[in-house]
Amino acid sequence: MKKTYSFLKRYGVALLSSAFLSTALFAADEAPGVKGASDEEFIPAKEVLTIKYVDVGKPYHLDVETLHGFFNDAKGVTVPLQKQDKAFPNGGGSVNNAEVKAIHDGLTVYFKVSWSDPSKNARAIAVQEFRDAVALMFPLGAVEITPAEHFSPRMGDREKPTNLWHWKADWEADLLVKGELEDVEAQYPNMHDDFNLNPYSAYYHRELITSVEVLSGGRAANNLLSQPWRGRSVEDLNAEGFGTLTTQDHQDVNGCSKYDDGVWTVIFYRSLITNDPHDVQFVPGGTSYFNMAVWNGGEQDRNGQKNISIQWHPVTLERVAWQ
Amino acid sequence: MTLVHNWHLGRRMEYPYFESRPKHQFAAVFNINRCIACQTCTMACKSAWTYNKGQEYMWWNNVETKPYGGYPQSWDVKTLKLIDNGENTWYTDEKDEKLSPYGVYEGDTIFEAAAKKNINQWAVGYIPEDKEWRAPNFGEDVAKSNKPDEYSSLPEHSRWFFYIQRLCNHCTYPGCLAACPRKAIYKRKEDGIVLIDQKRCRGYRKCVEQCPYKKPMYRGLTRVSEKCIACYPRIEGRDPLTKGRPMETRCMAACVGQIRLQGFLDDNPKNPVTWLIKHDKLALPLYPQFGTEPNIYYIPPRWAPRSYLRQMFGPGVDEAIDKFMVPSRERLAVLSLFRMTQTIIFEYKIEEGPKVFETTIHGKKFELYNDTVIGLGEDGQEVVRTTVEEPVYIRDPKHYNSI
Repeated sequence: MKKTYSFLKRYGVALLSSAFLSTALFAADEAPGVKGASDEEFIPAKEVLTIKYVDVGKPYHLDVETLHGFFNDAKGVTVPLQKQDKAFPNGGGSVNNAEVKAIHDGLTVYFKVSWSDPSKNARAIAVQEFRDAVALMFPLGAVEITPAEHFSPRMGDREKPTNLWHWKADWEADLLVKGELEDVEAQYPNMHDDFNLNPYSAYYHRELITSVEVLSGGRAANNLLSQPWRGRSVEDLNAEGFGTLTTQDHQDVNGCSKYDDGVWTVIFYRSLITNDPHDVQFVPGGTSYFNMAVWNGGEQDRNGQKNISIQWHPVTLERVAWQ
Repeated sequence: MTLVHNWHLGRRMEYPYFESRPKHQFAAVFNINRCIACQTCTMACKSAWTYNKGQEYMWWNNVETKPYGGYPQSWDVKTLKLIDNGENTWYTDEKDEKLSPYGVYEGDTIFEAAAKKNINQWAVGYIPEDKEWRAPNFGEDVAKSNKPDEYSSLPEHSRWFFYIQRLCNHCTYPGCLAACPRKAIYKRKEDGIVLIDQKRCRGYRKCVEQCPYKKPMYRGLTRVSEKCIACYPRIEGRDPLTKGRPMETRCMAACVGQIRLQGFLDDNPKNPVTWLIKHDKLALPLYPQFGTEPNIYYIPPRWAPRSYLRQMFGPGVDEAIDKFMVPSRERLAVLSLFRMTQTIIFEYKIEEGPKVFETTIHGKKFELYNDTVIGLGEDGQEVVRTTVEEPVYIRDPKHYNSI
């Protein structure tokens, strides 16, 4: 009985999907713990995000205060978000939507994402603390997304790679520490003294403590999460399906953020064209798609526990003034 | 989920991956009866692997006092509660020597509890907060009284505590490996050591959550998780001291109380670790009901209440304690190998010696033979030779006062 149950559980979804959908291609690839997607997920949203041409010039500061004015004339789209309920571990559901606006100046593309989150979680040092984050995802290469041509809006598919830009609140905080990582003392200021009684704790002998070289597998293996001096708050990644997310060797995306009155505003920016074959490329006048996800650290969101949009959203880039 | 066989539970159970056993499995036997909680193992590990920034709270090896101690606090009670369905019992009437040597576990494992509760992840678990890791030896030497009006009486004491030595169990079905959504954790085919790929790890802490033994630990400084690596450079024989032969880990080699014997679990009945675990059934797994088939085995303490020990080591406890209290000739010989060398012993031979002593223990006849035990290394060469009776050296009178 148990065996039959297990067989049905494992293959049932795949069998049903094959019966009801015209193609069984994606169903055959299913891993355990992954539920099949509905056909609606392969229809892109109707509303198109126009990446407006705005002459940004050369802003002295690339921060939200300086840049947000340029988005005034851009028309945004509201992306509905929901719980991730297909791949283990499921989770999310605390953020319902996010607003996305985008501009470009012929050289650089800027995406502004804002969503409400009552708690700011900009540190992930204690074992029980998780960061707020947001990610944009783009299909790699020139693709046409239709129900006939399946391209999963959830992390892409095998042979259908995506480029992801992942902004992390704690990376933004790291940038303020002279480009270093926020250290353990940021979370535990008196960690070198028992009982927190000493007003002149060893924390103030910073030279002494930092003179010991940090040995770490993460740093030795060049894991970008562990590196000091990464100098950016956005990670440039690729994925082709659940569990395949991989940091790029060449990081091209930057970002800035602001948390004000329960609302996160994050601006991603990158040059329209890069030399990296693993990056999405933006051509003025061209079209592409994007999708997104938001992590609420206060709700212990991380990895698949996230608030996701389950549809691709088309984008078009306005032509530049001289075209 | 697929169905895999877990011989600790005596049945098949659900696990996200197929059954795939290594060529031989990293394993060890700890004799709880001999441990004095000196923490030399703990410090040997600390000074080798976790002395650095961000690892202050990490003790990949730790020794805690039961019943009150726990690192992190109450890790076992919390996980036992998560799998408790009210009928976590063992069916011990029928046993199969190979497939179900302890009978059949009828409760839920961490994987089955997660499927039943429909929580949409692979295993039940929880993330211990920083304050739960902070006092690793909380409850040290605190005894529990079962019968406050009576004093100790053998074989079980009414006031008792014992030490439990813990490191990563390098499980056959690791909870951490199942939990990792990006397959950053892997089990080595050659020796069954479970490792976290430091390049692929993204600090999601699903392993911290779903390892029932709480041995993967998050490092706040590098934002990724780390765990016991079974001193794999030593296991691979890369330490010059053992001339290319596999060498025991730091925590094993440092054991002052000589409670530890490390080796590889394989099919060779003359492998001391395999013999103690599978043939003699003297050493038992820690919380087998979690369902991960852990590979550190314990000789249970003879003085602690049996009901507590049965919960901790399964239904094999009574037989194991009986065997330990009145050891057979071969058992005594194999136990003599503990901590005689740090080269890993792959096989043992016994050369019979004369009978030197006999007595009666709890009504059973016990005879002591001074046999010679020889340990062979991976290459079949002799690496250690010892006798059951420890040799006695009498100091020359002219050295009586020398240090």
